[in-house]
Amino acid sequence: MKAVGARLPRYDGVGHATGRTAFVDDIRAHGTLWAKALRSPHDYATITRLDTTAAENMPGVRAVITHADVPLLEYGHLSALGIPADEPLLAKDEVRYKGQPIALVAAETTEQAADAVAAIEVDFAPKTPLFDVRKAFDADVSQPHHWGTVYPHFEESMDRRQIRKGSIEKAFDDADKIISGVYRPAAIEQMPIETQVCLSVPEPDGRFTIYSCTQALYFSMGVVAAHMQIPLNRLKFVGGTVGGGFGGKVDTATETVCTLLAQRSGRPVKWRWTREEEFLCSSTRAPWHMEIIDAVTDDGWILGRKMLTLHDAGAYARFSPYGVTKHSFHHTGAYTIPNLHFDGYVVFTNRVPTTAMRGYGVTSVSFAVESHMSRVAEELGIDPFELRLKNANRIGDTSPNGIAYTDPSTVDVLHAISEATGNELAPGYAAASRQRRAGEWLPDHLLAQISDTEVH
Amino acid sequence: MKITLNGADAQVDSPPLTPLLHVLREELGVLSAKAGCENGGCGACTVLIDGSPRRACLTAAIAADGSEVTTVEGLGTPEALSPVQKAFVHFCAAQCGFCTPGMVIAATAYLDKGGSGSREEITEALAGHVCRCTGYLKIVDAVAAAREGDFDMSVAAESPHTQVRA
Repeated sequence: MKAVGARLPRYDGVGHATGRTAFVDDIRAHGTLWAKALRSPHDYATITRLDTTAAENMPGVRAVITHADVPLLEYGHLSALGIPADEPLLAKDEVRYKGQPIALVAAETTEQAADAVAAIEVDFAPKTPLFDVRKAFDADVSQPHHWGTVYPHFEESMDRRQIRKGSIEKAFDDADKIISGVYRPAAIEQMPIETQVCLSVPEPDGRFTIYSCTQALYFSMGVVAAHMQIPLNRLKFVGGTVGGGFGGKVDTATETVCTLLAQRSGRPVKWRWTREEEFLCSSTRAPWHMEIIDAVTDDGWILGRKMLTLHDAGAYARFSPYGVTKHSFHHTGAYTIPNLHFDGYVVFTNRVPTTAMRGYGVTSVSFAVESHMSRVAEELGIDPFELRLKNANRIGDTSPNGIAYTDPSTVDVLHAISEATGNELAPGYAAASRQRRAGEWLPDHLLAQISDTEVH
Repeated sequence: MKITLNGADAQVDSPPLTPLLHVLREELGVLSAKAGCENGGCGACTVLIDGSPRRACLTAAIAADGSEVTTVEGLGTPEALSPVQKAFVHFCAAQCGFCTPGMVIAATAYLDKGGSGSREEITEALAGHVCRCTGYLKIVDAVAAAREGDFDMSVAAESPHTQVRA
């Protein structure tokens, strides 16, 4: 325990400062080929023709792959949990987002690879794309996804992540005011300085050594093995040195195609995305559409909340159901609301597939909840700190999914912010604590939600 | 073409318009300069050319012919760190480390030219460098402290930006 609380130098600081740290792009393997992708120029289109013959005969080209060369074309990021796959590794009959990979070339130089990509003969019949998550949720729009508007594989084949707690009807009957708001944070690119990159080296024993910048090494290993239909023991992953991830390197973006190209060419293959590809084609944080309707009392108690969340998965599901699940557990934020009616949907559009970024699914709802708390305070004419302190999570309160809080920090954080911003709290609020509710902190509407679980 | 690379003579055989970054990484095997954007936007490829910080991705090899090129490998070694390198380690100014070589180069050029160590000046000197991890505060701390020199390298620095509540 010598390290706990101690100020230790970073174990990798000297390597970073002297340029000795070996990132994936710094690994050297003799005879490495460079990969380039043919990507969809359309947001949504049918592929009417795909012919790689000319590209295969270009100078320096050692391998070209399309959907026909992938042993298991569709393998979902949640397939290991038994959820059906929806995304082809390389587009087959149609493209559903701009930048979707269709074919990959490995050649002696990047220039030769790029020339060969340009020589692939491909035709498209463009279709009308769908970009807005709220519009995509309308019943009468034409859906890009074969599963329909929304992801349909939550538990018991439900089409949403649903939370029901307490009696939402009673909360709204008892309310003095109903206060609603709509919150729509936009997509954000994680933008690591190191773009997506992989080097896959075929070994003489038939195995592959895969140098990867992934944030989820064992997960990527399973994805590559599944697509290639080979056992895990033929893959040796080398990772751990990531030039920034922020969630954007959770999805398996490069390792599978690199290894397929390495298998086909018998040579090491490196695929390093350009900055343009990173911005246009890599997964982003999702755009979200959140509607909150709160039942409140004039003195600042939140009796109930109805919430509709639409999470933009982009063109394919990937981890989006996981993101919405986390989101649902946090949809009251740092506050306790006893009566809840939450529906969260994963909605498909023609945007690039979305994924994790720094608090997957939670930053969106934190933005919505805190914005809404300020709106409620303003509409009621109550100090925003006091409104928050009143409803703040305390020991024994229960979360939307019924977990009893044993050590919630909301009250302490609010006190710290108040102090740091020079905000004067009324004496009663300054004396608030995280301890179990009692007296004026325990109005009738919060009685039933309290857990008698022993805290530790 | 010939350059002096980190104090040693180096022959360059790539075509004259090859980006210097490509020459360093793919021809000469010097890997500290990183390809973050190859558009002059991120600063991760920055090297010193005759003492001035330059984007290696936007510099044609021919433009460096006859010049002294310095990368972080030429500033110090793990056994003998330069003052800026020491400060980056001590202040935990490197997180993922991908932007660090460029940052260290730019900071070194700034201090070598007599930079005052004021936070505003340091921020200006590093303005062309994108770091996605740190939020920059510790980088600026490190550069300011590098002027003063020595640190106890067995511990990390107390950050002036982090108050640990009792």
